[in-house]
Amino acid sequence: MKNVLSIVDMHKTYPGGVHAVRGVSFDVMEGESVAIIGSSGSGKSTVLRCINRLIEPTKGEVRLRGEMINTPNADINDVRSRIGMVFQSFELFAHLRVIDNITLGLRHVRKMSRKHAEREALQVLEKVDMLDRKDAFPGNLSGGQKQRVAIARALAMKPEVMLFDEPTSALDPELIGSVLKTIRGLADEGMTMVVVTHEISFAREVADRVIYMDRGVVAESGPSSIIDSPQTERLKKFLSSISEED
Amino acid sequence: MSETTISLRDAPSKGRIYGYFVLASFSFLLVSTTAVAQEYRSGWDVVESGTNNDLFSVEATEDEIWAFGEDGVVLGSQDGGLSWSHANVITSSDLSMSDSGFGSILAASTDGTVIIKLESTSQWADISFEIGEESISGVSLIRNNSVIAVGSNGSIWKYESETWSDYSVSGVDLLDVSFLDSERGIAVGEEGAILFSDDGGVTWDYRDSPSEASSSRIIDIEFYSDIRAYAITDNGEVLKSSREISTQVGFLWNMQYFESEGGSSNLGANLTSIEVATTNKFLLSGSGGYLSMSKDGGNIVTKQLIPVDNLTSFNDIVMIDGFNGITVGSGGTILITERSGEDEQVGFEVRDFSEFGGFVDYSKGMLIDGLFATINIVLFGIFLGFFLGITLSMMKTSPLTLKEIAEKRSLNLVRLFGALAFIVGFMFLNYLVPIVKGLGLDGWEYIYAPIGIINPGGITGDLQFENFAYLIFGVSLILLGSLFISANGEYKKSERELFGRTVLWNPWGVRPLNFIATIYTDIFRNTPLIVQFLFIHFGIQIGALIGDPAAELLEGSTGFIATFLRDDILSNRACVSAIFALGLNSGAYQCETIRGAISAIPSGQMEAGRSIGLNYMQTMRLIIMPQAIRICIPPMGNEMVNLVLNSSLAMVIGYSELTRKAKLINAVTFQVFWSYGMVLISYFIVTWTLALILRYLENKTRIPGLGISGGA
Repeated sequence: MKNVLSIVDMHKTYPGGVHAVRGVSFDVMEGESVAIIGSSGSGKSTVLRCINRLIEPTKGEVRLRGEMINTPNADINDVRSRIGMVFQSFELFAHLRVIDNITLGLRHVRKMSRKHAEREALQVLEKVDMLDRKDAFPGNLSGGQKQRVAIARALAMKPEVMLFDEPTSALDPELIGSVLKTIRGLADEGMTMVVVTHEISFAREVADRVIYMDRGVVAESGPSSIIDSPQTERLKKFLSSISEED
Repeated sequence: MSETTISLRDAPSKGRIYGYFVLASFSFLLVSTTAVAQEYRSGWDVVESGTNNDLFSVEATEDEIWAFGEDGVVLGSQDGGLSWSHANVITSSDLSMSDSGFGSILAASTDGTVIIKLESTSQWADISFEIGEESISGVSLIRNNSVIAVGSNGSIWKYESETWSDYSVSGVDLLDVSFLDSERGIAVGEEGAILFSDDGGVTWDYRDSPSEASSSRIIDIEFYSDIRAYAITDNGEVLKSSREISTQVGFLWNMQYFESEGGSSNLGANLTSIEVATTNKFLLSGSGGYLSMSKDGGNIVTKQLIPVDNLTSFNDIVMIDGFNGITVGSGGTILITERSGEDEQVGFEVRDFSEFGGFVDYSKGMLIDGLFATINIVLFGIFLGFFLGITLSMMKTSPLTLKEIAEKRSLNLVRLFGALAFIVGFMFLNYLVPIVKGLGLDGWEYIYAPIGIINPGGITGDLQFENFAYLIFGVSLILLGSLFISANGEYKKSERELFGRTVLWNPWGVRPLNFIATIYTDIFRNTPLIVQFLFIHFGIQIGALIGDPAAELLEGSTGFIATFLRDDILSNRACVSAIFALGLNSGAYQCETIRGAISAIPSGQMEAGRSIGLNYMQTMRLIIMPQAIRICIPPMGNEMVNLVLNSSLAMVIGYSELTRKAKLINAVTFQVFWSYGMVLISYFIVTWTLALILRYLENKTRIPGLGISGGA
């Protein structure tokens, strides 16, 4: 299996001195889905954002298919178009209809004609089961629908790896299912993905590998079975606190 | 009133007839007050001259006044013109022209007779010469004993070292000549001829006269000062030349248009002479008892009452100072004034209106003109302001730091650039050192140095904006250079000790675009708009700087928009200045409004845009701006209404917009409440319409889920 993404000794200190990530390293293989779990403030979202440099890591390397991407000279716009990202709060473009949200990147980054871009957009919309709402404004969609459009927007760019930043955290419980189903579908199709999530059950079912982060470091990682048989005290404690909440 | 008449005819009744009576007596009262209001007293008084000969010309020196006329009459006065005595007659020719200056007095006749009286002597000397077929039409002293005379067929003679020499040019009949000093002079003549000499009258060059005056007879010229010259034509036009930026007086000539004549350039009088009292005030004399004075920088010319009969032809005026003056005319007439000849009442003919309807009929045309003038500057001002606002707000929110610029380059390149910037900056400042020293400033006076270096020569010098650029770039490049030279590859902030306190030192975090935009908005938001108007119009003269060249570019275009821009906008300097003052000022405020809207867009939108691979500018243009503009429509509406209301300040630079029109109407009618009230309503209609349009736009562009906009 080919190595798609590798992160080596990543550090991030925020202005103000919070040392959020303290030496994180991991690799993501072709077709693998990696779930990053951990309590709030453990640095998992920071790691994800450092991967496509929405946040600049203070130290460390990020490589996409072996190519170093966190140097000042890397073509960051090209890199980002190869990495799909889905946000916790959807971040759909409120002034554009669903279909235009999706064609925006295709037309202005991939330089496709409007017609061509719309054909592509319809395909991905079908994939996330949102074809019937293609002319709606995001403001008129439910949370789950919004998130599926956001997934479609990232998918349309045909990314080499997808990053999900707590994709279900902002959703009502009854809406979560449809989004998770969509993500699961992607995983089954062999999409390489990194999912930051609080959905332990989802991580267990879908992820090939689980990374547990605590206080800025990788505290434990391994196949999804570690959720059922945690090796470290910290992960045990974390899992039990979550099951108490449930 | 008409309604009353109709109902009277339909059903006459006692009450109505009574009302009619009251109305009639009221109208009578109004008519009688009108008669009182029009009783002005002339500002001129008659002085006994002791002659019945026509007087043609008058001159004043510090303590003497001289008048010259028919059959060699020379009258002198030593008490400011109150009493006159005959001087020894030394010629019998008609002395029809004269000049004074350099301590001497000069008079001449068309036949070549020239007499001169030097300061040191009390006698008139005859320096007449043979002019053959030609005739003299104008004379001017260029030194105390040196004269330039001009005449028919382009004749020009110079009297110097007691001999006359001929410097004639080919061309039309010349009618008058005037010298500012020993070198610079202007001669005028038939067919709009204007000639300029800057070597004491030896060589002459033709200058372009305004196309309206290209076939006129220019009969009198006064080269008043370094910044102004006036000339008149015999059919009642006034030509004006001003110093403009780097062009001296005498090169560019414009027609003076008169608001008092409905915007025409023709006064409808047969003028004989012009006397310039101050840079912006002149008096005119003419045949048929015509005497007048300009107001409002020449925009208004008021005909004056005279204490003699209307057949008197006034031939010349001399002003001893800004208010005391003397005019001479036919039949030995001499008038004297202590108030520039102004009538006791305000010089307008009072238009009296018995009813509001009549007043509205009279003033609505002017108000509508004013309204269109206001709309012109407002529309262009909004466009300019919006363009600036968008640009500045993008600059202000730009995240580009010096760190980002530097860290993409190799360290040596950064240092090399730093050294170059330092050297160039140093050269700029070094260039300015002698200029600043030459300003003669002391201590705290140096805060005014930026104004001094732009225009070190004052009103007669050039505006040197490059000096200001050198100052700004010099300082910035030296600072930037020092920082880049000190680069060590680590573009981090640090904490430093300063006066015992810890200070965050983060020069690499400076955002250069934000810095520039902040300087701009700070300047425009911390100075009064009215001063900006005055500075841009009179100080920078942006009309001459930008408007005129732009109008020249459109010369010959026949398209509707091109002709509109050229004739109604660009060639009207006050209009160009007003547009720039409003636009530049509004841009600074709109920038802050748009910036506020941009910061109201969640940062996730930028992240989302960037995460699909759009670059910063694409994200701004395609995602942030379309949403920000929708959010800022209500505050922008505020800003635009402000702009309309602020446009009334354009009256201070003489732009005939709504408020100024009201002032003019008020000056003619004295109906204070009516005139300003009507303007109030006109403004309300404009701004209210604008507000409605914006409200409609707000509803049209509203998108669900964006912002809290009072129900979607």
